[in-house]
Amino acid sequence: MVQIAMATGFILILMGLYGALTNHNILRIIVSFSVANTGVNIILVAVGYMHGRTAPILNEAVPVAEAAARIIDPVPQALVLTAIVIGLGITTLMLAFAYKLYERKGTLDISKFSELKW
Amino acid sequence: MVNVIFIIVIGLGAAFLLGLLRENWRNAAYALTIGSLVSMAWIAARWLLFFAVEGGTTVEVFTAGTEPPFAINLRMGIAEAVLLLVVIFSGLLSAVYMSKSLFRLGGRAMSVLLVFIMALCGIILTRDIFNLFVFFELAVIATAGLLLISENKQALSAGFKYLIISQLVSVFLLIGIIFTYHVSGSLNIDTIAGVSLDTMKGIGSLAFFFMLIAVLTEAKPFPANGWALDIYESAHPAFSAMFSAAMAGSAAVYAVDKLLLIGGQQWLPVVTAIGLLSFVAANLLALAQTNDRRTLGYSSVGQVGLILAVIGQRDILGDNYLFIAGGILLSHAVAKAGLYWISGLIGQRNLTDWAVLRRHPMLILSFVSFIAMLSGLPPFPSFYAKWDLVMILATENRLWILAFILLGSLLEASYLFRWFGYILKRETPRQEKNEVENKSPLLSLVPHKLLVIFSALATSWGLAYLWGELSAYDNLFYALPLLFALSFLLLEWVSVWIKNTLAIAGMVAYFVISYPLYDPLQIIFAAIFLLGGAVILLASYHVHGRRIGFYPSAMLMFAGLAMLVVAEDSFHFFAAWEFLTIGSYFMILRGKNSEPHALSYIIFSLGGAFLILTGFALAAQGVVLFNLGSLAHVAAPIAPWVFLLLAIGFMTKTAAIGLHIWLPGAHAEAETDVSPMVSGILLKAGLFGLMVLLMNMGKQQLYGIELTYVMLWIGALTAFLGNLMAVFQEDAKRLLAYSSIGQMGYALFGLALMNQLGWLMALMFVINHYIYKSMLFLSVGGVAKRTGTRDMYKMGGLIAMMPLSFIAVLIGIIAVSGVPPLSGFGGRWIFYNAILSSEYRLPMMLIFISGPIAFLYLFRLIHTIFLGQLKDDHRQIKEAPFWIMLPQMIYVAALMVFAVVPGLLLRHVDAYLSPFFAESAARGGLNWQGLTITSDYGYWSPIPIMVIIAIIFALLFAWLVFVNRKAQKVKQFNIVYSAERPFRPETTHFAWNFFAPYRKAMGFLIQPFVTRFWETLTELLHTIADLFRRFYTGNGQTYAIQLLAFVVVVYLFRVEF
Amino acid sequence: MQFEWIQIPYALLTLSIIINFGLLMNAFVAKIGARVGRRVGIPIYQNYIDLIKNYGLRSSITHGVMFYLGPVFRLTGGIGLLMFVPTIYGSVMFSNFSFAGDLILALYFIFFGTLGMALGAGESGHPHAAIGVSRGLSQVTMAELPLALAVFSIALQYNTLSVTEIVAAQQGGVLNWTLFTNPLAVVAAMLSFLGSVMRPPFDVVLAPQEIPIGPPTEYHSSYLALMQTNRVIFPIAKMVIFMNLFFGGADNWPVFFVKIFMIYMFAVFIGVVFPRFRVEQSIRWFLIWAVPIGILAVIVV
Repeated sequence: MVQIAMATGFILILMGLYGALTNHNILRIIVSFSVANTGVNIILVAVGYMHGRTAPILNEAVPVAEAAARIIDPVPQALVLTAIVIGLGITTLMLAFAYKLYERKGTLDISKFSELKW
Repeated sequence: MVNVIFIIVIGLGAAFLLGLLRENWRNAAYALTIGSLVSMAWIAARWLLFFAVEGGTTVEVFTAGTEPPFAINLRMGIAEAVLLLVVIFSGLLSAVYMSKSLFRLGGRAMSVLLVFIMALCGIILTRDIFNLFVFFELAVIATAGLLLISENKQALSAGFKYLIISQLVSVFLLIGIIFTYHVSGSLNIDTIAGVSLDTMKGIGSLAFFFMLIAVLTEAKPFPANGWALDIYESAHPAFSAMFSAAMAGSAAVYAVDKLLLIGGQQWLPVVTAIGLLSFVAANLLALAQTNDRRTLGYSSVGQVGLILAVIGQRDILGDNYLFIAGGILLSHAVAKAGLYWISGLIGQRNLTDWAVLRRHPMLILSFVSFIAMLSGLPPFPSFYAKWDLVMILATENRLWILAFILLGSLLEASYLFRWFGYILKRETPRQEKNEVENKSPLLSLVPHKLLVIFSALATSWGLAYLWGELSAYDNLFYALPLLFALSFLLLEWVSVWIKNTLAIAGMVAYFVISYPLYDPLQIIFAAIFLLGGAVILLASYHVHGRRIGFYPSAMLMFAGLAMLVVAEDSFHFFAAWEFLTIGSYFMILRGKNSEPHALSYIIFSLGGAFLILTGFALAAQGVVLFNLGSLAHVAAPIAPWVFLLLAIGFMTKTAAIGLHIWLPGAHAEAETDVSPMVSGILLKAGLFGLMVLLMNMGKQQLYGIELTYVMLWIGALTAFLGNLMAVFQEDAKRLLAYSSIGQMGYALFGLALMNQLGWLMALMFVINHYIYKSMLFLSVGGVAKRTGTRDMYKMGGLIAMMPLSFIAVLIGIIAVSGVPPLSGFGGRWIFYNAILSSEYRLPMMLIFISGPIAFLYLFRLIHTIFLGQLKDDHRQIKEAPFWIMLPQMIYVAALMVFAVVPGLLLRHVDAYLSPFFAESAARGGLNWQGLTITSDYGYWSPIPIMVIIAIIFALLFAWLVFVNRKAQKVKQFNIVYSAERPFRPETTHFAWNFFAPYRKAMGFLIQPFVTRFWETLTELLHTIADLFRRFYTGNGQTYAIQLLAFVVVVYLFRVEF
Repeated sequence: MQFEWIQIPYALLTLSIIINFGLLMNAFVAKIGARVGRRVGIPIYQNYIDLIKNYGLRSSITHGVMFYLGPVFRLTGGIGLLMFVPTIYGSVMFSNFSFAGDLILALYFIFFGTLGMALGAGESGHPHAAIGVSRGLSQVTMAELPLALAVFSIALQYNTLSVTEIVAAQQGGVLNWTLFTNPLAVVAAMLSFLGSVMRPPFDVVLAPQEIPIGPPTEYHSSYLALMQTNRVIFPIAKMVIFMNLFFGGADNWPVFFVKIFMIYMFAVFIGVVFPRFRVEQSIRWFLIWAVPIGILAVIVV
């Protein structure tokens, strides 16, 4: 289970990076990064997952005394939540930039935005 | 004490509040922004006070009521407090600076600014790696937002490129964090660092690598930094200031520093290598830049690289780590922010457009202070830091790192000082009237922006004082000469008369005060430096007005010289050396066409200074106050290297052949009264250094080669080639400059003989050269002033117009040529006696021939200027101004006195020197009894010589006057001329290419090989720089690929360590 | 040795002997030169006549102060040089003012007159004078080098710079002369000597036979008289140094006359045989032939 999730995560990251580096269209680049981010998030969760344990919610099913032995690690899940939020923020910002860039030049080809160089 | 967390709280809270404010409540929003920044700064300052003054210790701040690793904790220590202050202040000042833009954009822009600053504070404070990630992402988002403030439309694409990179960074960082957590079970840096290294092997090590490389990327290392350069170039300068000073220079490097706690020692070399590569490469590529902000960007990358390299050395820096890293970091932050702020005042983006700064002296002072800070010149913190760093690196035998740091520093100084040359010397760009409406003005002096810049200026000097206090050495600010020099900055508004009088009085007074402290050798040098300088300064009375910039520079040079003479340890010696270098550079730069020459002067000088620095560092081997006398006790394997480094460093100053190309231009293009100062006085500093070196280290052998023997050859070659090159100059001041090279060659030769007479001869040259070269430069300067040219063939026949100048030159050339009865002969006489007691014979040959060659250029000098045919344009010319003549007449008198009674000065030195050569020389010095000076080989009676010659001369002259008493001066063209009557002075004055046959015979010896070598080297560097900067294609995807490649390469090379 | 008033008449005596000897020798050499060229030549007293005539002439022309001073410098140089070197070895009467300085003083004082002369000629404003000076200075730089090396060599050999001591070391037989003890130095010095006596092949500086060139171009009457006097004294003063350094000196006047004459004839012989060099040619000649011998002399001594 963990291995599959890990593998999926890494494949997604590599796919995302490949897409981001080969596509010239800015929107496709943004989407590719979203894919990569998803991969990262999957890995985060996968690392925190422990086989045969339950969700880290302390209720009747999981008394506090046994919690440490029965729940999976809650920290990665908390991290994932944060990471998703931040990823969302960045993606939004990139989209906003893409919009502005398109407004300026009428194109979304990233190689057209290389006036600043050397 | 206010809880540190309030810094975050205030930043975040105010940012939220700003979003709630109504759109048109701009004033309130701005007040809130400034208010919150001020209160954040106050908290940080209060903590700094707590740590620095009240002796507080590091404090942990817990959140969520739990201790780590179960909750995030912040840490506040002295380093954090300082960095927070840097971040918040750069934010505060930038907020003031860009108030107009902020007002235009409203509260939302201000809130983004606050988030940015808050995020950077968070990066510095937090001890939690995931928290670190969050703050970094916040900073990224805020950066992208703040970029839009810029008026440059390109900022948009730069921002997008940054977002692409930050996506990659966040992928790396997150993967690194989660696997680190997986391995160590904690997110707290200190807890992870406590986990044993074994668990961090394998996946753990890879995870750490990912985190490290992600954070390093935020510090913009070469070559994965194209995006950063684009941001630097296009962003609002106030943002670039924050981006460079606060984000890269403080937060990111501190994050690296924190992370290294986890990785441990084995990762230090990686950081060092990346830092050094960035430092050298960025500074190299900057050579080819023309855009000001991009240049500053490259410089930022370089400086951050240097800080990273220092972080990489923390294993050996010990207690000095904070002092060194802090000195460099703060220097970078203040200087870079200041420079970016200045760039915001300037309307156009080419480096040469900064010439408009000339309109505002205070801005020039700011610029100078900032580039001095970046170049690590005293008295700024980076100087102390670099000194300590080099000392430690040399002690720990990390010489390659040392070499790269100095190479990068030299490159950086090159383009910074080139830029300064542009500012002072390039034409101010003109603005067409009709363009004024729609374009930004060339220089906009907005008061609040100036205030921001000047507060950076004040900070830079404040830090300079502070670092002086903190250092293990004396604070340079307590040196009386330096204070005296700096005080002239405050006197810039008064007239030359007052300043000049003060300067002369100060120098003479300082000599008188220090007189009892000097030994005979020091007396000679101090007299030349201080009294001699005062005499030349008499000539400065001829200038009217205020002469802004002259006196601080001149006094800085003289302060350096005064401190050099009495310096007892290597630190003070080196600091003095740097002072005199900077001061003289500013003075040389004042000349009309001296921009390229001043630049080559400062580059050669700094290069030489770095060699000296390395030499001292190698010699000291960790001793804090390394007494110059201890040079004698340096052990065998290092000693010859120390000798070599120091000797080359000093010989750069004396313009030994191969290192001489800076001299002719620098001395020739300088102002009338500056040329004698830099030639007559400054060159002696190099000789003084050599004397100190040789006196303490004596003869050294490297691979069986006697180094003093090599010096002997260099001295002889310098004398020969310097004189030969002087023969073929058409420009009078260049001729004198080349002659100085030759004369210094003689002196070097004398020192390298390593016997008492050789040294005496060198000292004789020191004194003589000061007198006659100062005199000749003044006369020629006066003539050039009157005729408006320095080309000798355009003059001629001026003896009737400027008789006093003629007399000065006549006496001068008799003295230079060594013809009896004037004092130059004494030098030659001692020389012959010295070589007889030397064991070497061959190098003398070159000296023998250089003597007669001197006649050639000396005759040319006096003939083509004063004799021959007077030009029509010059028939109304007057004698040179009184104040230029006065020192010359003093020199004439001095030459006469010194010719008759050389023993007055020399006998004490002779006695002083004899103990140093007691063992080597079976033959002693000279015998000064009575009128005759005797050596083991011969004798010399200056007074009888003078009397005999004077009597014969007077008798013959009287007779000729008597018989030809009726002779009348005939007209100019009344000469026997083969049945023709010449009528044009231009065709009758034989002057141009005066020694044509000599050029035919000997010209092959003066092919400009050395010049060509240095030019090729410079060109090569520029070509490389221009070629490699194309690597930054401007395409965001390329940058991303470069980053990935960088990560892979670093990972592969990491194995090496 | 210290100064005493009696030395002044002694010095004047030396001076007059030298002047008379020089006048006669110059005329004699000129006559030899003429006879080689199948001409009759000047009478032996011709130089007296010329000199007296020029001293008698009065000029009403000057080109300025330096022009005035030129001949004064020149003759001061000649007389001074003579005075700083002992003429007759072992004689108190004819050791002149040699207490003032040693060999180095003499060598450097040679340039005193040259420099002043060049300056005076320069003020005349005549381009030919300046051209002559330019050529002369160019040539002298290389011509002096072998001499300097030779002097260094013998100073090393005798371990002294005092002329008197050098002569003393050569006493006691012809084989003690430097000529035989250090032949390389002597060869180098004598080659150098050729370059400094203004005779062919090294006389392009004055180019006496064609257009007037060189420093004296504008000089006439009593100015010229001073320079003629110097032309008599100066070569002899210089040869005295050579004689003292290389040929055992002279302990009485007849030996002195013979030796000086022989040294001079060396230059004369070469001069009548060889054509004239251009300046760059003579520089190269000295560089290739004379300088290496000098260097060798310094190395092997």
